[in-house]
Amino acid sequence: MNTQIDGRYFGKGGPLFKLYLVTAVLTVLTLGVYRFWAKTRIRKYIWSSVSGDDDSFEYTGTGLEKFLGFLVAIVILAIYLGIVQMALFFFGLNLFVLPDTPGQEIAQFFAIYVTLLAVVPLMLFARYRARRYRMARTRWRGIRFGMENGAWGYAFRAIGYYLLVLLSLGLLNPLATFKLEKYMADRTWYGDGRFVQTGKWTDLYGGMKHLLIAFAILAAGIIAVAMAGTRNEVGTGVFGGVLLFVGYVWALIGLIYYRVYAFNYLTARKRLDDHVTFLARLETSAIIGKIVVGSIVVGVVVTVVFGVIGSIGAGIFMSMSSGTDFDPNAGTFLGLALIGVLYAGAILATGGLSLVLITQPVIAHAVEHVTVLQAEHLDSIRQRSADKGADAEGFADALDVGGAI
Amino acid sequence: MPAMGRFFDGETGQRLHVDLYIDPVAETLRLEHSDLPMGSQYWPLWAIRALSENAREDQLVLSLKADTSLDSALIVTARLTVDDPDLTFRLLKLCPNLQRRDIAPGAIRKVAIWSTGAVSALLLMIFVILPAMANTLATFIPIEREVAWGRTVVNQMERFLGDGSVGRLACDNTEGLSALSEMTDRLTERAALQYDLNVTVFDHKMVNAFAAPGGQIVLMRGLIDTADSPDEVAAVLAHEIGHVESRDVTRNALRTAGSAGLLSLLLGDFAGGGAAVVVAEWTLNASYSREAEAQADQFALNMLDASGTDATGMAEFFDKIGELDRSGLDLPTYLASHPETKTRADAARVFAEAQGLTAPILSQREWEALRGICS
Repeated sequence: MNTQIDGRYFGKGGPLFKLYLVTAVLTVLTLGVYRFWAKTRIRKYIWSSVSGDDDSFEYTGTGLEKFLGFLVAIVILAIYLGIVQMALFFFGLNLFVLPDTPGQEIAQFFAIYVTLLAVVPLMLFARYRARRYRMARTRWRGIRFGMENGAWGYAFRAIGYYLLVLLSLGLLNPLATFKLEKYMADRTWYGDGRFVQTGKWTDLYGGMKHLLIAFAILAAGIIAVAMAGTRNEVGTGVFGGVLLFVGYVWALIGLIYYRVYAFNYLTARKRLDDHVTFLARLETSAIIGKIVVGSIVVGVVVTVVFGVIGSIGAGIFMSMSSGTDFDPNAGTFLGLALIGVLYAGAILATGGLSLVLITQPVIAHAVEHVTVLQAEHLDSIRQRSADKGADAEGFADALDVGGAI
Repeated sequence: MPAMGRFFDGETGQRLHVDLYIDPVAETLRLEHSDLPMGSQYWPLWAIRALSENAREDQLVLSLKADTSLDSALIVTARLTVDDPDLTFRLLKLCPNLQRRDIAPGAIRKVAIWSTGAVSALLLMIFVILPAMANTLATFIPIEREVAWGRTVVNQMERFLGDGSVGRLACDNTEGLSALSEMTDRLTERAALQYDLNVTVFDHKMVNAFAAPGGQIVLMRGLIDTADSPDEVAAVLAHEIGHVESRDVTRNALRTAGSAGLLSLLLGDFAGGGAAVVVAEWTLNASYSREAEAQADQFALNMLDASGTDATGMAEFFDKIGELDRSGLDLPTYLASHPETKTRADAARVFAEAQGLTAPILSQREWEALRGICS
């Protein structure tokens, strides 16, 4: 048994893209029902691509149980959402007064969308449950991962910490990141070995530096634009605009920097069963490179391919319209059908290409930059009894939590 | 030299490098290692399954068919990883059920039960509970709140139709306005309305009219241009007053607030899912509004009759809309959700025949003034 295990990733773009395309078409043909099986098959591929010490991970979830979980969630959500949303909308309406200024009017218009907040606690609940489900369905060397029940505890804590982040204008973000990850990590198991998150939340401030710089630039830009407005100086206005753009890009990069920094820090300070430790050395520049290059390629491919198909279609449509016995209704129908197919096709292509060109490379980078230390202890870990309550992530599926995979 | 495989018993984290032998006669795969109980294990070839969607093309991960369970976490089985190319080839050939997916007994029944439950919960919410709640809540909203909301809706509409500002689109020819209020007064003098009406004309070519919450009614110039007599305009106005009085818009908005979220929940985010939600919501809306339209028509006919106006105007206007529909000219969206115009025109004609003495709602001079309201 090696004392050190380096993660390796074996997934390739071609097979994953093909898998995505096949499952996506099945999803459209079944009006969305197949999406549970689609996600499961993609997870199986990605999990089996990850290996440590040449033993692959395994995803044991099934599409059927995901579908069942979704149906159960629908029954509960139908009642909750329907009633709560309408009640909130009703109270929103009761706050209406005659608008005096356009600003007030717009504020009232958006007040109606406050109803969307009704689902926030449920989404946080769903986020924990989804992670718990994924853990319960992940195996390595035949040993299950698992997480204890604690979704409501997570949802309440998350609301509290996010409110603190909001009130502190983002300055307490490391507190929320650390505490919420610790809440989840401390409840995570590999077999009968328990994970523990050590470290201090203040250590994450090192990762905030680019975000703070970005906010300084954005603030300067806003001041410059405001000054240009009052003093009518074009030069200052242009300068302010440039600052805002630079600040925006800097903030995007700063966010990635923070997430990578936090991942490395939090991984390096996790311990498994008191003995096993980890090392994560993800590189911000490499990840930004993959995201930027991936996004550009996806954008260009989708624009060019669908631009060409779209203009050919438009050309055919135009030449048909110029005919004498042309039925305008038939033409409109054809046009609409063409637009519909292009729309669905563009969404599918964007999803598949993003998965293959952005998500998978970032996962591969992360896996290949994580090392397990004192790995010989893993031999003494035994199977845990199954988590009976870790049923499928129905709420996450219904509320669309969880992103690409 | 036997082929090797990596064996995990599913109970400990230990990895055993086992020797593998295929016995074609007994149709078994034999695993041998000194740490195995009795030194060996036999796997029947028919019971061997391979993991699907395996990213590693150079290996096969095998398990034995287990007692399946709906909760996949409960399935405990050993795993055997084979990367010997020759053995992989033979296993692929000899194991008959390698790619088979086992479904737990009772799974279909469970799916059927929960599907029925989910669909009934949604149908019950969308068609029974939400409309009933909307009807009740609509009567609880204080009228001044409803008026405030209605103003906001009209202003939004004006921004959308015009150049983005408020106050430019409304027509303000003085004589036209007084003709319009004359028409409104004559229609409503015999009716006890809960709302103070606020009727406006927008300078827009669309042949359309709409009612916003709290007594706000907007007619488009295109509608007045299309009409050949003041009675036709009066019919449309009376119809919109019907919507105002039965709080249709408020009710509809409340209902939509409840059901739009449910629909997007159900359909999810697959490609075109967003469009599907819009279509479903629109269809649902149309089915509700057909009922509301029929009621507003009836309200309008009674109102026309009470003010001594000939309901033939209504029939004639519906005929015109029907022709606009057929020629495919810019079809106003609100008309599309209305009941068949032919049926409505016929109903108005039947009603008109039973009417007693009628007079045009506006004099020729007032009608000319109304037609020039936007000049």
